[in-house]
This record gives sequence, C-alpha cells and structure tokens, in this order.
Amino acid sequence: MTQRAVDAIFQAMFLLTDLRVLMRETAPLHDLDEEQRAKASKALEKLKKQINTLEQELSR
Amino acid sequence: MKCTADIEARDLEEMNINIDPIQAGGRLTADAMKAIIAWGDGYSVCDNCRKPFRLDYIEKPAINVFHDDLAAFVGMDEARVVPGARRGFQAVAGTYVQKGDPVMLTGLSHYTEFLAVENTGGVPLEIPKDEKNIIRAGAAAEKLEEAVRTFGRPPVLLFIDHVDYQYGNLHEVKEIARVAHQYDVPVLLNGAYTVGILPVDGKALGVDFVVGSGHKSMAAPAPSGVLATTAERADEVFRTTTIKGDVTGRTFGLKEVEMMGCTLMGVTLMGMMASFPHVQERVNHWEEHLANGTLFVNALAAIEGTEIRSEMPRRHTLTRVDTTASFDRVAETHKKRGFFLSSALKKKGIVGVIPGATKVWKFNTYGLSRAQVEYLAAAYLEIAEENELSVSS
Repeated sequence: MTQRAVDAIFQAMFLLTDLRVLMRETAPLHDLDEEQRAKASKALEKLKKQINTLEQELSR
Repeated sequence: MKCTADIEARDLEEMNINIDPIQAGGRLTADAMKAIIAWGDGYSVCDNCRKPFRLDYIEKPAINVFHDDLAAFVGMDEARVVPGARRGFQAVAGTYVQKGDPVMLTGLSHYTEFLAVENTGGVPLEIPKDEKNIIRAGAAAEKLEEAVRTFGRPPVLLFIDHVDYQYGNLHEVKEIARVAHQYDVPVLLNGAYTVGILPVDGKALGVDFVVGSGHKSMAAPAPSGVLATTAERADEVFRTTTIKGDVTGRTFGLKEVEMMGCTLMGVTLMGMMASFPHVQERVNHWEEHLANGTLFVNALAAIEGTEIRSEMPRRHTLTRVDTTASFDRVAETHKKRGFFLSSALKKKGIVGVIPGATKVWKFNTYGLSRAQVEYLAAAYLEIAEENELSVSS
C-alpha cells in the first residue's frame, strides 16, 4: 500500500523532470514541434494517473 | 520563484539559451536529474558497501562496473571518480612531485594545474604557446631541454590541456607526449573540455593519465570528475595506505592515499552514472555540435569589426571572440555603455556572457539544438543591425 504511494511520488517527479528537460530543449521560446507536443501530452497523461494513485493512497 | 524560503529556484536553463563557456557540457541529462531526486541523501550509495569498504567495490548500484566502463571510455586501464578534475591533478602531482622538482605546464594551463604543483612545492615551467595560441611539440622539446640544463634532470611530470580554457584550441598532445616520454616524463592529459563531449582515447594519444571533469563535460553534478591511467601507473597513483597508528596499531586496509579513502559519495556519483550512457552516446555526435558551433562563429564573424581569436576552422565549440571593433564601439556611445549587449541578449532569452563584456569574451554552444543555435545567431545579427553595425551576407 505505502510502496504504491511512494512509487507514484517518484514516478510523478520523474515525469515532471522529463517536462522540465523539454522546457530546456526548447528555451527560450518554447515553441514545441509536433513530436515534442506529443511527448508532453503523453507525460501529462501519465502524470495524471500518478496523481490519481496518490489521491487514492493518501486520502483514506 | 523560490524553492525554499531563502533560496531561489534556478530556472536559467529552462528560460534561456545559456552560452556560458564553462557550463555547456555539464548540463544534466533528465536521467541525472532523476538520480538526484532519488539519491540526494548524503551517504545514499553506501547502503550496500561491504568489506573492503571502498567506493569502487560497491556492486549495488553497480559502481564497480561504472569504474571499469569509465576507464574503457577514455581508453585507459583503470579509473577512479574524483571530486572534480582539479582533484585528479592533485592526486597525480601528489604522487610524483616533491619539493623543488621541476614540473612542465603550458602557457595555457588551467590555474588548478598550477595549484596542484604549488601544493607539492614543485617548480612550474611553462611551454610557451605559439602565435596562433597552440602548444606545439617543438616548443615542448625546447622547454624540456631547458629544464634539463637548469635543473640537471628532466621534469617529473608534464601537464597538457587537450583543449585549453582560454581559446578552446586543440594542442599537439600526441606529439608532446612522445617527446616527454623520450625524457621518461609522465604525461597528464587535462580533458576537462573534451572527456564526455568528444571521443578521447588516452592510449592512442600516448598519455599516462587522463583527467576529465564531470561538471564541465560529463553532464554530472559538481564536484565530479575522472582520473584514469595505464596499468603501469595505476599502482603508483592509486597506491594503498601503509600507515599505522602508534598507539592503537590501526591500519586502514585498501584505502587509497591520493583518493583519501572514498571520493564521490551520494548524489554526485549517481548523477554522473545516470548521465554516463548518454555521454557515451553523445560523443559520437561531436561533429554535429561542432557544426552548430561553426554556424554561430560564422554569424559572429559576419558582423563588421568582429574577430575570432580562437584557431580557425574551429575544432571545438568553446570559442574566444574579440568585439572591440564592433560591439565595444557601440558601447562607447550607448546609454547603457558596455551593458547594452548583455541587456539586449537577456531580452531575447540569451545568457552566459559576462554582463558588460563587449571587448573579448568567450562562449560555448555545446549541447544546443540546431534550432537554438540558429536562434542565437539570428539574435546577435539582429542586435548588431539594430546598433548600426553592418553585417556581411
């Protein structure tokens, strides 16, 4: 149970790190190309799942 | 934005293109950032440290394998991680240099090489650079002869920078190593600007030691670096302790004297390890980074009065440029004086050039994407034109 929450925290931070690097790769204008937008969108989707897991694990 | 009550979050890389000459190769990979999140505690790598209690023997995480891989990566037999290239210099100097010993450096050596010599009481002798700011084997041979005449013996060690920090020029390393070995002088290659960004093969270059910087060129946190050597020299520089306490009789097993026991504990090492697969891969793309750098160099050279002070054509992305007759001419009458350039760049999201510098300055485009370099080049040309400097096509 607790492991699931901790894993979700790490996973969320790792996904945010990928987004952070995307910001670096596209600085200073952050005009994302199609591939980068798809990558960002996928990371955000996964991030939402990790947040859901955290809500489930930590709110009971 | 703040990350604690008193510490700002550093978003320089997220918000800007950073062309600081010493920071380019040290920017972290995503994997290094993830390792930092997970391994930030002080002794985090020590959970599975077992007898004989030495960093390079730890199997989980596979720090032992990483050491072997590091040695192979720079074409040497043995490697250790060190807290920065300077500590690699210090370890080698500490092994070979005694007080009063002559030590060969160059007219472009980094100050930390001098400090490593000073720390041992050695006497620095500089191989002069030529008019193109290159260290040549001929000059090294002359200086070695001069050292023998002055001291009655050859120097005990020779430091040569693969690429120097001032011009980013490549020097005659292989030829210099050959000359030095004729006098039985061991050679240390300072690869702070090359190991981790372009292929480096220490044995092919004929050197005895290769030192690299994690935070300059291996996408690792500071302070980190590598010291690698040949099997012949490994027993000397990585010698183990023989000291014994006179009261307790204690001895300290396999601890290495020059490494002061363990070196990179925790997050620096894990960041370095996490980036390493990317670093191994990225050196194969050096030509692309060099081409990007050349694109920017050519753009600068197109601005009236601008002179490239580094060797041309460029063989490294760290470059020294003289804008005394271009941007500094604008600074003479501009209301912001010398700060007009850094201010205009900042507005375009470009940082890394010393604020107020409009005469001679350095930059490094390593690691930037093609799109970022094109943006950078266009920004400089735009600033030049806005300030009525002519730009050739």
